[in-house]
Amino acid sequence: MTRLLATPPSWPRVLTAGFGADDPTDLDAAVRAGAFAGLARAIRGHGRTGTIAELRVSGLRGRGGGGYPTAEKWHTCATTPADVRYVVAHGYEADPGTRVAQALMEQRPYAVVEGAAIAAFAVGAAEAIIAVRAEYGEAIRRLRLAVERATDAGHIGTDVLGSGADIAVSVRPVQGAYMLGEETVLLRALEGKRGQPEQRPPYPAERGLFDRPTVVNDVVTLAAVPWILVNGPEAYAAIGDPDAPGTVLVQVAGAVTDPGVAEVPTGTPLREIVDLAGGLASSYRLKAVVVGGPAGAILPPRELDTRYTFTALREVGASAGSGSILVADERTCVVDLATLLTRFCADEACGKTIPCRIGLRRLAEIGERAVTGHARPTDPVLLADLSADIVASALCDHERGATRPLTTVLRYFRDELDEHQIRSACPAGVCRPIAVASGAAAT
Amino acid sequence: MSTVPGSGIVRGMALTFRRFFEPKATVRYPEVRPEIAPRNRGRLQLLHDENGHLKCETCFQCAQACPIECIDMGGVDTRGRYNVHWGPAETYGERREEAALRRSGRPVPDAAFASFAEVDLGPVSAVLVAHDHDPAHMLGILEETQAAYGYLPVAALRHISFATGAWYAMVYGTASYYRQFRLAPPADGDPALAAADRRPSEASFLSALDAALGMGPRPAPGNARTGDAAGPRA
Ligand SMILES: Cc1cc2nc3c(=O)[nH]c(=O)nc-3n(C[C@H](O)[C@H](O)[C@H](O)COP(=O)(O)O)c2cc1C
Ligand code: SF4
Ligand code: FES
Repeated sequence: MTRLLATPPSWPRVLTAGFGADDPTDLDAAVRAGAFAGLARAIRGHGRTGTIAELRVSGLRGRGGGGYPTAEKWHTCATTPADVRYVVAHGYEADPGTRVAQALMEQRPYAVVEGAAIAAFAVGAAEAIIAVRAEYGEAIRRLRLAVERATDAGHIGTDVLGSGADIAVSVRPVQGAYMLGEETVLLRALEGKRGQPEQRPPYPAERGLFDRPTVVNDVVTLAAVPWILVNGPEAYAAIGDPDAPGTVLVQVAGAVTDPGVAEVPTGTPLREIVDLAGGLASSYRLKAVVVGGPAGAILPPRELDTRYTFTALREVGASAGSGSILVADERTCVVDLATLLTRFCADEACGKTIPCRIGLRRLAEIGERAVTGHARPTDPVLLADLSADIVASALCDHERGATRPLTTVLRYFRDELDEHQIRSACPAGVCRPIAVASGAAAT
Repeated sequence: MSTVPGSGIVRGMALTFRRFFEPKATVRYPEVRPEIAPRNRGRLQLLHDENGHLKCETCFQCAQACPIECIDMGGVDTRGRYNVHWGPAETYGERREEAALRRSGRPVPDAAFASFAEVDLGPVSAVLVAHDHDPAHMLGILEETQAAYGYLPVAALRHISFATGAWYAMVYGTASYYRQFRLAPPADGDPALAAADRRPSEASFLSALDAALGMGPRPAPGNARTGDAAGPRA
């Protein structure tokens, strides 16, 4: 398992409580620790609308990157007229470098199963599907065991707690490409179709899996739901930043001594999160942090006071994304790094629309021209224009996000980008531009 | 509902007479030519860019979107090999197989063209029966078909399209999208080719990322791997 980083004892542990148990699939131990008490409370106490109301008070917002209020999503799904509804727990974890969802599913399988079951009860779905990345063999095994044991014990299954509600939970391995992270793509994969995004709206909560209202929630979002129902929504709302309360799972990696996963209250400054990983592994100074995975923002040290909330991150041009925080020291060239990220995003784009198929490729080429010393005089303007066009015309959030690495470099590391684009030089000494006479890099 | 008998006929005839005296929209075709919008393509034709390359990327979007399936791709690839997938070759003059495979992240070994050979349809028929010929089970159908043949032969994909009623473009698009599918027999004894069957971008991205961040090699992925499905991932 990815290491769980030590956090100050005063920080609440909603998601990581019970990490490191001998056997996370042991149902009796889990029940002693409070598993399925939240579901019982939802069914016996709150009822369907009451459960959603509790969630609304808690202020829980999606941890999949977008930060959409979970109660609103459930409400939409529950009130859209339909014969069948579904719940999909999103455990695909698209970012290949991040393993927070994997750690959660391996260590707290019952929290994920219970969260999905509560969602199914609240919206009136008879079926909840936990979609897990196929490479996560151990997570799949543990989740399946958890579902089996919970069903045998009557926590889920038919006529749960005599409520008349049937809640079948299943675990579905999915594999494909990065784009499966996008919710409409994941739904297409579950339908057995080619993985390409659909226009939203209608959002999946209105028309999702097999055209039925579907709640798609990150497994990290769902795992917090039982805690909220047991400890009360006010307790959850009191954690972290009032605008988006609760805790988040982040992964700190890169040029740090102690990479790993940590549970932090929202609103924690980036600097404090980076420090959890033990500081820089080298004697070089910190140069940048990449927040949010492949489509992440590259932020300079002076933005490290940014608080980890959806709004504050958006203001500095970033997004929580996959929960990944990568640290780079001075030996890293940010232009090279941004080009690498953009190229990955362009290669993984689905090809459905023009910003996706052509736009991202042209964007990656701008970066590639910069790092090889072939930048054109028009490139700086083209970069700004093209990114703005992609953001304005994108079909899905992947293309919008894919502009972040290069646009944040333009915003925060303008000098370094200019060195590459105008003088064909790399201040960090990483890129080996095929140097033309200085300043005459035009083609 | 009308209460006066015959009022319906009167209203109907009123409409007939009104139309009778209205100006007509008929165009007397060969003598009079309608105005055709400049972007009308009429017969489908592929355009070339300024370097003479076809602009079509063989992304199958158009074939997948066309409601009456009049668009499909077939013909001769850039190396002059005949590899029609489906549909009339003359509609799309050239099928850029290379591009299709590139989009799918797979290499283009010559062995790939063994996949166009005829195969015994028994196994794929059995899979289809087990799935009730239901196109909503496409991933399951494709997975079991691949288990039966070791890869997804084109003849089997065609049969799946025929038997489930799913468009070939959709079946092919699905098969070429997901990492677990092979459109060519696994290259025996050539681990490099077998590894490249999988989507290579994630592994190379991660190692490039590590290099860019000055990190050492990643620890071997813990227990997070399952058999064939796992691409290298740390
Ligand atoms: C390219 C891309 C990748 C994504 N990857 C993930 C992912 O790995 N896990 C996840 O839960 N959501 C991911 N999302 C967000 C989902 O589309 C969706 O918004 C989210 O799962 C909704 O759940 P939430 O409300 O709990 O956040 C991704 C979105 C995009 C555009
Ligand atoms: S396959 Fe169709 S949509 Fe795709 S590039 Fe070619 S002509 Fe355009
Ligand atoms: S990645 Fe293709 S439409 Fe978004």
